[in-house]
Amino acid sequence: MKTGLGATLLRAGRRLLSSLPALFGVLVFTFLLMRVLPGDPAVFFASGPNAGKEEIEQIRKQMGLNKSVPEQLVFYLSDIGHGNLGRSMMTGQPVLKDLRERLPASLELTFTALLIALIAAVPLGVVAALRPGSLVDHGVRLFCALGVCVPTFVSGLLLIYVFYYLLGLAPDPTGRIDVFTSLPPQRTGFLSIDFLLAGDLEGWWAAFRQLILPAVSMALFVIAPLARITRASMLVSLGSDFVRTARSVGLSWRKVVVTYALRNAILPVITIAGIVFSTMLGANVLVEKVFSWPGVASYALDALLSSDYAPVQGFVLLMASLFVLVNLVVDVCYGIADPRVSIE
Amino acid sequence: MRFVSFRSATSVLATTALLLVATAPSRAQTRAETLRYVTGASVNTLEPNIPGSTRESFALSMSTYDRLVAFGRKQLNGKWVFDLDTITGELAESYDVSPDGLKITFRLRKDAKFQDGSPVTAEDVKWSLDRCVTAPILGKAQLLTGSLTSADQFKVIDPLTVEVTLPKPDKLALPNLATVYPIIINSKLAKEHATADDPWATAWLKEHTAGSGAYVVESFKPGEQAILKRDENWNRGSANKPAFFKRVIVQSVPEPATRANLVERGDADLVVDLQASDVQSLEAKGKLKVISTPQYNAITFVSMNNQMPPFDNVNVRRAIAYALPYDDMFKAALFGRGAPLFGASWPDGKPLNGIYPFQQPVKLDLDKAREYLKAAGLPEGFSTTFSFNVGQAATAEPMAALVKESLGKIGIKVDIQKLPDAQMSTLINEKKVPFFTEGITAWLPSTDYFYRNFYTGNQRWNYSSINNSDLEAIAQAARFEPDKAKYEEDGRKLNAIHFSEMPQIPLWQPSQDAVMASSIEGFTYQFHRLVDYRDLSRK
Repeated sequence: MKTGLGATLLRAGRRLLSSLPALFGVLVFTFLLMRVLPGDPAVFFASGPNAGKEEIEQIRKQMGLNKSVPEQLVFYLSDIGHGNLGRSMMTGQPVLKDLRERLPASLELTFTALLIALIAAVPLGVVAALRPGSLVDHGVRLFCALGVCVPTFVSGLLLIYVFYYLLGLAPDPTGRIDVFTSLPPQRTGFLSIDFLLAGDLEGWWAAFRQLILPAVSMALFVIAPLARITRASMLVSLGSDFVRTARSVGLSWRKVVVTYALRNAILPVITIAGIVFSTMLGANVLVEKVFSWPGVASYALDALLSSDYAPVQGFVLLMASLFVLVNLVVDVCYGIADPRVSIE
Repeated sequence: MRFVSFRSATSVLATTALLLVATAPSRAQTRAETLRYVTGASVNTLEPNIPGSTRESFALSMSTYDRLVAFGRKQLNGKWVFDLDTITGELAESYDVSPDGLKITFRLRKDAKFQDGSPVTAEDVKWSLDRCVTAPILGKAQLLTGSLTSADQFKVIDPLTVEVTLPKPDKLALPNLATVYPIIINSKLAKEHATADDPWATAWLKEHTAGSGAYVVESFKPGEQAILKRDENWNRGSANKPAFFKRVIVQSVPEPATRANLVERGDADLVVDLQASDVQSLEAKGKLKVISTPQYNAITFVSMNNQMPPFDNVNVRRAIAYALPYDDMFKAALFGRGAPLFGASWPDGKPLNGIYPFQQPVKLDLDKAREYLKAAGLPEGFSTTFSFNVGQAATAEPMAALVKESLGKIGIKVDIQKLPDAQMSTLINEKKVPFFTEGITAWLPSTDYFYRNFYTGNQRWNYSSINNSDLEAIAQAARFEPDKAKYEEDGRKLNAIHFSEMPQIPLWQPSQDAVMASSIEGFTYQFHRLVDYRDLSRK
């Protein structure tokens, strides 16, 4: 038996290695998929009022589409090897630059949403589990059902309507920062952190105000799975022997529920949170659209609609890598929440 | 203590709410001098000639670059629109067209300076125009329509005079120089960034501006926003003073409902791409200024592939033309916001004039439609698909449903196909769509231009794939017809052929609904169908 940390790291490393073939598979698969999809990007982008065959050919050449598919694949893989994800026709920028600028926006939004969701969902789940079948339990169930039923763009539009349009409390829902506020020097790309690092509290506040509505509308959607899973696993752990023992020896309520029951119940919640996080990152496209959030998901959707190959491929690769990373983090969290997991 | 965590959660929420309430929006004082324009599209390059440039990039370049000449403006039904027939100097102080129409001489403004302070010279003009017709960029195909094809046609006479020679007296040569592409570039600056592979500095110009325009690009995030700062020395406006707004913010807001909210709350000053329903309600509230201009250089069609059965039969096309529920479609798709191109009456059965687009004498008449179907040998009807692209869904979706319902009544079974934009344009390019809706626009809307570009040749913009030798001959001849009366006569002939052949069915010219704060003045409908920021001012 190794020490907890060492074992965790070893497991993490092994996981990382074993995920490489999968990443490669994703790379090739996306590449082929994009080329199988109907729709010729060159025709789409040559849409000027006078664009003819010549323009189409030229764009095809520019995008490297005049070569055969296997050749294109070889070039693409060698580009990836050199850290070059290609150039987006849509924004005219290298995909890597676009993703680097947009990923922090998506991550910041998703992290905040997940945090809000966890802060709301775990207590809700615990409360529901403590009194199953009570009015509180039903209330939580109703709230969760509502959250899941309402699509994120509807809740987003509703929040905008109430907090921006009617009450005027929220700032205009156009991106990460008020256009009139100057940006802090970029360090992490997370505006809320960059502003703090720059010591600009007013700026931080402006960024935070922009963030809160989209984050809440995303959180509303994922509170349900998190709360339900918390409730279920709390019920199991509250009914187990060690809780009965803890109760019988007269430990305080808080110690029983929080220290013993919740800690044991939290594992599945972490798993679900990991999955929810990855899904949110890719699926928050509607929220990004509604709030004009300059994130990666809306970028990928626009690219997909216009058959812009490079950004879509770059996006899928990024998502796959993030998925691997998130799974790693979840693994590490397991080890912290339950030391037994590290034992091999 | 019970419900500990629950309570802390509530307190977090409460604090958040409180904080939201406590902060009032902090605004810079320059708000009145700033124009904030929001759009569903985005700017993706600073040089409009780059293949793949968006229309917003075109509009932006109107303000960051100057051209030799510009279109004037005129009032049409009380609204300002661009005027194709008045060409005023922009960088040119004046110009002369020789009596035979083969030479145009431009004299440049003496005081015109690029944004880096260097003077605009004839050399710069020559380099820029050479670039436009030589480099593999979008301007090439456009200038071709004005008989401008080779660098030999541009000659420097002296540092402030440039001469353009034409092989034929082409009416469209001069207007072409006022379009988006022939921007005048600071050639010295651009050449510094040219490489052996890229002698025209296209890669550099994509992300940098080297122009003499009214606005300097202050910051540019492709796909998100561009912030422009006024060039205080620019004096190409009407009254010899710089543009009104000190700053212009062009911001992408993809969700139309959000754009409507922004402009209604006064956070945005101007938007031109709202949904018709939102425009309707904003107009009814009366707080904002709404300027609706029928886009007289744009047309929406129901098109049929004339080479593909059963649409290769003219009677089938006529049957369709009499089976479309025009009024309902116009209301459902556009809320009646536009100019209809149906329901005309031609007393003697001949076109009323030689202008294209024209109003066709067709209306919903199912009996007539059935007769035509019978004449086509298809009394029982047939099955087909009706396609439109996702980007047009807001207007095309209700339209498609009505087409399906109405054609069903004469036995034509229609399946609706909603295609991603790239797929739709590919299929159209390959001529594989039988029955669909599309729109066309022309920067230089003249009758012969429309017929030559959209009704001839086996090319993408000939949506109906019509191949009619009479039509082609008349349209080609009309291009160089100097006599106005004869040109008009040619136009009438073309319109008559259009009506009898019914290659496709013009529906309407949608309105451009510009919704703006009531303090904004000077809005002009431009040939590029977007906003020219230089036109605008605030009361």
